[in-house]
Amino acid sequence: MFRNFTNKLSGWLKTAASPRNLALLAPMALALLLSACGGDGHPRDTLNPAGDGAEVSAWFYWLYLILDSVIFAIVVSALVVAIVKFSKKDGDDTLPPQSHGNMKLEVIWTVIPTIIVVILGVITIGGVFKLSEKPAEEQKVIEIDVTGKQWWWEFDYRNEKISTANEMHVEEGTQVALHLTSADVIHAFWVPRISGKRDATPGRSYPLYFKATQAGEFIGQCAELCGASHARMGIKMMVHPVKGPDSYDNWVKSQKTVAAAPQTALQKAGKKVFETKGCASCHTIRGVKELTQRSRTTGPDLTHVGSRTTIAALALTNNVENLAKWVKNPQAVKEAALMTNLNLSDADSKAVAEYLFSLK
Amino acid sequence: MSAKLHDIEVLQAPEPHMHFERPGKTGLVDWLTTVDHKKIGVLYWLAGTFFLLCGGLEALLFRIQLAVPDNDFMGGETFNGMVTMHATTMVFLAIMPMTAGFANFLVPLVIGARDVAFPRLNAWSYWTFLAGALVINASFVFGGAPAAGWTGYAPLTGAQYGGSGIDFWWAGLALLSASSMAASVNFIVTILNMRAPGMTLLRVPVIGWMMLVIQFLLALSFPPVTVGLILLGFDRMFGSNFYNVSMGGDPHLWQHLFWLFGHPEVYVLILPAMGIVSEILPVFSRRPLFGQTAVIFSGIFIGFVGFGVWAHHMFTTGMGPVADAAFAATTAIIAIPTGVKIFNWLGTLWGGKLTFPTPMLFAVAFIPIFTMGGLSGLMHAAAPLDLQQHDSYFVVAHFHYVLVGGALMGLFAGSYFYFPKVTGRMMNDTLGKLHFWLFVAGMNITFFPQHILGNQGMPRRIYTYPADAQWDFYNMLGTVGVVVMTIATLIYVYNVIVSYKKGEIAGRDPWDAATLEWLTDSPPKMQNFDFTPIVLSERPVWDHKYTEGMEIIAPEKAEAFHMPSYSWKPMISSCFVTLLVVGLLLNTFNPGNWLWAISAVAAVGVVGSVYAWVSEPV
Ligand code: HEC
Ligand SMILES: [Cu+2]
Ligand SMILES: [Cu+2]
Repeated sequence: MFRNFTNKLSGWLKTAASPRNLALLAPMALALLLSACGGDGHPRDTLNPAGDGAEVSAWFYWLYLILDSVIFAIVVSALVVAIVKFSKKDGDDTLPPQSHGNMKLEVIWTVIPTIIVVILGVITIGGVFKLSEKPAEEQKVIEIDVTGKQWWWEFDYRNEKISTANEMHVEEGTQVALHLTSADVIHAFWVPRISGKRDATPGRSYPLYFKATQAGEFIGQCAELCGASHARMGIKMMVHPVKGPDSYDNWVKSQKTVAAAPQTALQKAGKKVFETKGCASCHTIRGVKELTQRSRTTGPDLTHVGSRTTIAALALTNNVENLAKWVKNPQAVKEAALMTNLNLSDADSKAVAEYLFSLK
Repeated sequence: MSAKLHDIEVLQAPEPHMHFERPGKTGLVDWLTTVDHKKIGVLYWLAGTFFLLCGGLEALLFRIQLAVPDNDFMGGETFNGMVTMHATTMVFLAIMPMTAGFANFLVPLVIGARDVAFPRLNAWSYWTFLAGALVINASFVFGGAPAAGWTGYAPLTGAQYGGSGIDFWWAGLALLSASSMAASVNFIVTILNMRAPGMTLLRVPVIGWMMLVIQFLLALSFPPVTVGLILLGFDRMFGSNFYNVSMGGDPHLWQHLFWLFGHPEVYVLILPAMGIVSEILPVFSRRPLFGQTAVIFSGIFIGFVGFGVWAHHMFTTGMGPVADAAFAATTAIIAIPTGVKIFNWLGTLWGGKLTFPTPMLFAVAFIPIFTMGGLSGLMHAAAPLDLQQHDSYFVVAHFHYVLVGGALMGLFAGSYFYFPKVTGRMMNDTLGKLHFWLFVAGMNITFFPQHILGNQGMPRRIYTYPADAQWDFYNMLGTVGVVVMTIATLIYVYNVIVSYKKGEIAGRDPWDAATLEWLTDSPPKMQNFDFTPIVLSERPVWDHKYTEGMEIIAPEKAEAFHMPSYSWKPMISSCFVTLLVVGLLLNTFNPGNWLWAISAVAAVGVVGSVYAWVSEPV
């Protein structure tokens, strides 16, 4: 049985699947492959830029893709022709010419790539310096201190004196300067449609400059392995228009206020839970309790937590049920999360969730 | 000029006189005490193949996790451990040892020597490698796998963040690095000093050259990472602060030390495969390698420049535009010698008489697949573009094209090609072709879509992803591809086993090849050659067969030679070295229990065994 199978197989491999026959399919496969490499309007498509940094990267991508495709096509066609043309014919036992090489060819295929590499090098170096340009002094700059923490992002607005988590708000067309650092291990800040990534390194502060060119919401996440929940360290970038009710200025105004006072009985009970059950040792709510010192395990500023669309670095959508679920058992939502499980009762978690969600 | 003038099979040697046979042992003891480069080569190759299966299993497990969005087959920490062990295993315990297997078996044969320069040191390298491999994998049993990625970026590896797996990881890697450094010195001396008469450096076959280049890379690149590992060990064991930021340490120090090793390491993995391909293409084209000197020099050039590009792994750290520009430029330069190699391989095929047994299939497929990996690498050299691709699936695609499509397929090619020399039997060609087509299909199904995933913003090393990220289709494909590759690899292993038992008898020169290893018996006798051949060209065996006046002539009088005898000392010495490391590990886990005394005793043992080794008559 097996012998039969292998005989059949070897016959098939010799004819249908011979390199000679398959080589003829290569050009088709090539065209297919290259078309698959293009942009496709995906939510985090690096080739559909919405920021100036991503634009530069995408420009380089297309440049290199075209160049690479040409080179690849040359190599594959040469290979295909060689296989088709120079496969040994049955019964032909003569030896091919025993030439050892060709100096002229060696020079050609060293010099031409060298020229290409030099040109590419000049263009690349231009791009490197363009991306690292500091924003001009006089223009409006949104300056944000970004701290990567296991496993969420803290955003402190330098001039506005507001602090948010995981959801970064910026203005369309306005220069943004991030100053990245970390409270523990190395993380990397990456919102693919806005800009390339930059590491957040403990003990250091490195800048990342960009301008968002398009209003909307853009998703990203930590790109440097940072421990168990590295996969759950999302970023949402909200790019506000300059004018209108949804403007960046309005957002800043609303965030600058202290926390709203609780209205309903349940919310009041929730505030109590926050104040008495130890939440306040890790979380600031301006107007209720402010932390003076931050540590590795300090949690996000919750003054306006109700205004966020997601919680726990995009792990959950923000609503009362999810808030309750989170505070009841953070580790069940996010492996190894650094927020202590305070063993709240169902009622307490419900109440505190109700309160937190009211903090718009 | 088609007819063979002479047949290798009938090259008669005079009965050797005055030779001292290596008094061998038999059975298991033989394998434990052998200093024969061929047996050590086989041991390396077997261990490498075993760990290839382990690394593949790890990949299969985490690919199951990634097959669908929001999967809970395994958690983040387990996943990170799987990814870390997969890469560590594939790089250090699969590809490098398989390469070392080829280096051991082939280098003395292709240069016409009887063994390596330091046969006992060679055995020591093997046992120390094996010990390192076992220490790293022991982490699975004692407290969990290392989970900081194979790049082990500080401070994630620090005592505060990384579990006990990291201790096994750094200690095991330190052993591997000692093994590699010892081996590199051994092979440099062998290749430079022990070539047969007439074998000038430029007559050394490309495989010999590539092995020489990588030994220099190993000798020069392992020291920095070893320093890095020892600093890490100090931080973890004794609370020093080399990488501890809050005490003024510097996490970037690790990255520089690691990549100063890590980039040359890439060439350690790929150059031997290029050497193998450069041996196979001419044989099945029935003509010399096109531009052999250019191929050799481009390999040397790659080795040199490979030391000046390491920070291209660090464009996102914020080194500043000057460093970014410099490393982008040096990296792009590597494209030139790489291109030279590719064009010379094409030149070899062009005008040949090509046949396609399995080794040739792998060697030919190596060309476009490796080219693909090289071209995506060129993209990473463009720093502004790398800011997007770094740590994304695009990079994952890139290095798998280079290391799976390149290095591993090169080693597969070499396995089929040299199997008859090693065992005396041919591998089954039908199974080989089945392996080939399945493997090539599987590898492209898995890794090609990962370019697209990277463009779509998927970061590497994430254990799960939400459905609305829309990465599910290509991830599912990736998992399917891994299943296909697994089946292919199992067919290969089956093929090795049945061919070893029942394969067709090969004879000395089954492929009608050109270099010295095909001159001798398959498998070669203990002393490799009956007489030391005098080499007149870079294709001594081919010219013996096909060129009038270039025959290899057996001397009338046999020569005297001396083969070193078996020895327990290398293995005993590396056991003590391992014990030294194990003592440190035990002490880390149970501080204050005098467990470091084990290390102290082991240190004495190391000195003692080396003394015994040195004074042993050979
Ligand atoms: C040990 C410090 C600590 C304590 C105590 C603590 N938290 Fe947290 N909290 C954190 C950390 C750290 C995070 C971020 C976790 C993550 O996203 O990985 C967090 C996140 C949160 C979030 C999500 C915020 C966002 O914007 O994503 C809420 C809501 C929250 N905590 C509420 C509470 C409540 C209510 C309590 C008291 C019952 C509490 N926390 C107690 C540390 C703490
Ligand atoms: Cu991360
Ligand atoms: Cu590199």
